[in-house]
Amino acid sequence: MEAATVQATPAKRRSRGLSERRLAAAMVSPSMILIAIVAAYPIGYAIWLSLHEYSVRVAGLSRWAGLRNYTNALQDSEFWTAVKTTFIFTGASVVLETLLGLAMALAMHSAFRGQGLLRTVVLVPWAVLTVVTAIMWQTIFEPSLGFVNSLLGAVGLPNDTVWLGQEPQALIVMILADTWKTAPFMALLLLAGLQVIPGEIYEAAKVDGATAWQRFTRITLPLLKPALLVALIFRTLDALRIFDLPFVLTKGAHGTNTLSLLSYETFQTNRILGLGSALAVLTFIIVMIVSFVYIRFVGGNIRGLAEE
Amino acid sequence: MRWNRHVAVWLGCAALLGGVVAGCGDDDDGGGTSGTTETGSTEGAKKIDVASMDGAKGNVTYCTGKDTSGDLIAGVKDFNAKNPGITAKLLEFPESADEQRNQFIQRQRAKSADCDLFESDVIWTAEFASQKWLTDMTPYIESRKDEFIPSTLESVNFDGKFWGVPRVTDAGLLYYRTDQVSEVPSTWQEVYADAAKKDGIVYQGASYEGLTVDFLELAFAAGGKVLSDDGKKSEINSPENLKALQFMADGIKDGAAPKAVTTYMEEEARRVFEAGRATYERNWPYVYALGNMKGSKVKGKFKVTPYPEFEGGGKAAILGGHNMVISTYSKNPGAALKLIDYFTSPEVMKRAAVKYSKAPILAETYDDAAVQKALPFAQELKQSVEQAKSRPVSPVYTQISQAIYKNVNAVLSGSADPQSALKKADDDINKALATF
Repeated sequence: MEAATVQATPAKRRSRGLSERRLAAAMVSPSMILIAIVAAYPIGYAIWLSLHEYSVRVAGLSRWAGLRNYTNALQDSEFWTAVKTTFIFTGASVVLETLLGLAMALAMHSAFRGQGLLRTVVLVPWAVLTVVTAIMWQTIFEPSLGFVNSLLGAVGLPNDTVWLGQEPQALIVMILADTWKTAPFMALLLLAGLQVIPGEIYEAAKVDGATAWQRFTRITLPLLKPALLVALIFRTLDALRIFDLPFVLTKGAHGTNTLSLLSYETFQTNRILGLGSALAVLTFIIVMIVSFVYIRFVGGNIRGLAEE
Repeated sequence: MRWNRHVAVWLGCAALLGGVVAGCGDDDDGGGTSGTTETGSTEGAKKIDVASMDGAKGNVTYCTGKDTSGDLIAGVKDFNAKNPGITAKLLEFPESADEQRNQFIQRQRAKSADCDLFESDVIWTAEFASQKWLTDMTPYIESRKDEFIPSTLESVNFDGKFWGVPRVTDAGLLYYRTDQVSEVPSTWQEVYADAAKKDGIVYQGASYEGLTVDFLELAFAAGGKVLSDDGKKSEINSPENLKALQFMADGIKDGAAPKAVTTYMEEEARRVFEAGRATYERNWPYVYALGNMKGSKVKGKFKVTPYPEFEGGGKAAILGGHNMVISTYSKNPGAALKLIDYFTSPEVMKRAAVKYSKAPILAETYDDAAVQKALPFAQELKQSVEQAKSRPVSPVYTQISQAIYKNVNAVLSGSADPQSALKKADDDINKALATF
């Protein structure tokens, strides 16, 4: 804007403006082309595939299917079971991760001896690969040799639960594993949020006689809200496309079949390309709706954060 | 600002979707425009010329899952030394069967000539043949038909033709503890009753291909079927299959099998048996040698037997193993056939059995003294292979198998009852058969 005001004549201003816009377009075009290749093309191609049927029995045979793949998917009880499983998983794991992550962030934020060590220790699970996490939890919940059943047995509780072999235990293990792994990520984002809250506000509140609880609910939480919401969006979208945990833990058995796993099985294992793509597109739409809901209802806060 | 935010969300979602679809690699089916001939069968498939292997020259690549035993690596080396005009090369895929299938499918879709030969699991024949990815091997098989154990040829038979040559076979065996069982009962029912009194029986009950095999062994023995004879309709919802499924469910309820079998694959079952925590085990021949190694608590304390019969039915096993198939895109089928001829020759077959514990597909190999010494259970294995049946031969086999193992697993873990599970499996299989 400052640059424009120093321009003398309107004509000159326009030509300068145009070339600037062109320059801007030229400068962003490489990344736009890259985005088109890695994001727009796969999406377009998936939608194209989802509108066709490809024969699994006759070589090279395909036909236009219109929306048939979508109506088939929506009429399939397996799809709705997967939707339910995915949402239960997302809801439970995100809530647990947020609470645990907030507690971790508060602990890491307060100054005390050994703070550096605590921060390192807390972050370890986040550094572990999800597949490794899954194998680790699989071992912990192994029925006869696993840590959990041994512990239950040691304190005299029934220790013959096959955790990964029945509903709803398998889903619970999956939620626990995800919480363990990603709570540190939540903590990290929230810690960043805590660190931008100016210390003077707390001091002023203390002088006014606010209790620790009042300081937490009246200062920390409201000022942390933008960071909290960003963290929530990240985790929710991530949890909605969970694939690796159920793939390793149960291969989708015992009530752990998620949307991504179902799409993968249909597309890759069963080679029903059209239906598999339709399932992927439906997952995409569900994720879109959830993210729009987030932005619509809590959008003001994100804008506030962005403007800060 | 607003626009940027929308873009950011879009991109985020794009990345998610991209993960699902693009993660599937180069599954390009040539767009959607390739509506070619609709024969619905294997008509017009390339047929092998048996004479082409005489004087074959050039390069040939054999693509296979990871050669964990070293059997193929040694074989290819020996073959090259004996055939100066041909250079054979081994290309190893990952160890997992699903991954091998993906590798194969991706190459065939791309019409790649990378691999002249593939080592194909017995259950892939119909799918690959119907996609016209395999060379018709009927003339070669006909010329050697008497040498093979008949059941092994069933696994390469689809649409009236033979699509590969069996190289290694496999059939499940019943392992039992000699310190707990003096004489193996003659029926499954008695085995389970005995197991309930002792340390139980372990098998593969997780929701995967292995459970399809374990269920079909009992179901086929009980007289059940999966598909109608023309392969067009499901016949899984039958009284015989119900008997078998009820039997498995009762086995867990009565304590013959531990509840945890619903999470067991081959390795889990093996570990439990080797730890001395089971009286019986259903597993493949490969666990025999491992069970007699240092560290196994049952070393020298177990034996194997072919399966007993199902009360009111008969005996049955399910055939496993691998076939050698020639890709239609091979540029050197003559040399490929020469390599097949080498690997399935009695001499090489014997070496594979003696040195690498591979179950032979030629009847005569089992009677060889050296083989019997190396595989003390050779006769039991031969009986098991001879009584073995193939899994349903269908281009949509993976879906049929899913319908079986998912529903059987639901029964074993107690979340469905046998009747409704078979009804559901019936619907699922009919749906699979109706796949375009």
